[in-house]
Amino acid sequence: MNDDERGGSEIPDTELVQRAQKGDDAALDALVRRHQDGAYRLALSYLRERGAAEDVVQDAFVKAMRALDGFRGDASFRTWLLRITANEAKGALRKAGRRGETSLEDAAEVVTDHLDPAQWTTMNDQARRARAALGTLPEKQRLSVALRTEEGLSFREIGEITGSSEGAARVNYFHGIRRLRELMQ
Amino acid sequence: MNMKPIDCGVVREAIPELVHGMLADEARVQVEAHVERCAECDAELVLVRALSESRPGVADDLAIRIRRAVAFDRQAVHRPWWALAAAAVAALALGIGVTSGDGVGVVAPAFAMEVEESWPWVLGEGTVAGSVVLEDLSDDALEALLADLVDEDGGS
Repeated sequence: MNDDERGGSEIPDTELVQRAQKGDDAALDALVRRHQDGAYRLALSYLRERGAAEDVVQDAFVKAMRALDGFRGDASFRTWLLRITANEAKGALRKAGRRGETSLEDAAEVVTDHLDPAQWTTMNDQARRARAALGTLPEKQRLSVALRTEEGLSFREIGEITGSSEGAARVNYFHGIRRLRELMQ
Repeated sequence: MNMKPIDCGVVREAIPELVHGMLADEARVQVEAHVERCAECDAELVLVRALSESRPGVADDLAIRIRRAVAFDRQAVHRPWWALAAAAVAALALGIGVTSGDGVGVVAPAFAMEVEESWPWVLGEGTVAGSVVLEDLSDDALEALLADLVDEDGGS
């Protein structure tokens, strides 16, 4: 089941948001099912710990639903929600006093926490190495690469979510990809 | 189809869209044709595809936890301060636990009731948010209940 199937691909977000603003719980559920995966992966990119990332996603949805009446659709719902998630994740990092960076030596151990054992078993060697290498990148490069390759977001959207410019998001992505290819050789 | 050749920079910028099936047909054909004869771009496509296909999935119960948290937050937002106080006093009188939002209540052995997992006020640990149980009472009734319970508690 892909993300769209989880959230009902036939109804656009704008319509679901309008319905949710009027108190339609089914629409709200559809938004949660459709966007929880991307929000979770973004939180994981910051925090690199499944439990902490799940807590952040939960808090982000609570805040988004509180503010939903004020959502006017200037950005897409996904970008708006991911921006809230990014802010929650940064707050969680500050609270925990963690830097969100790892050394090359401990990256493999940290990254394995992203996936459950079944996921690791089915993942091929190429993917394992790529994912382990991703965990070694500096935060901005890691975020740009993750949001672009995992979610297919544009550089403009990545900039809006991470609080950087579109150009910075592009530079971070290409630096990150180049570094990953070096690590993979 | 007569296609214009595209350079590596354009292709590498488009690779994530190719992997996510977001390219229009003509652009997709151009990028795929380039990748077939360019080892560097092919290596980048393999890398991006590996990252995309190995992306972490969410826990099965995350959506349920999110909906529960949103439902509880909504109840908390609409609950006046004195309703929570009344619920706390009532719960103490009945011997059940009450949560105020993110805490976990304690269920005392003096009181037991059947709860359904689908109830929005049933929290992760199976505790019941007492104030929501009292939700249907009017403001006057809640104030009267609070006064009665305080009197009763003070007199015992």
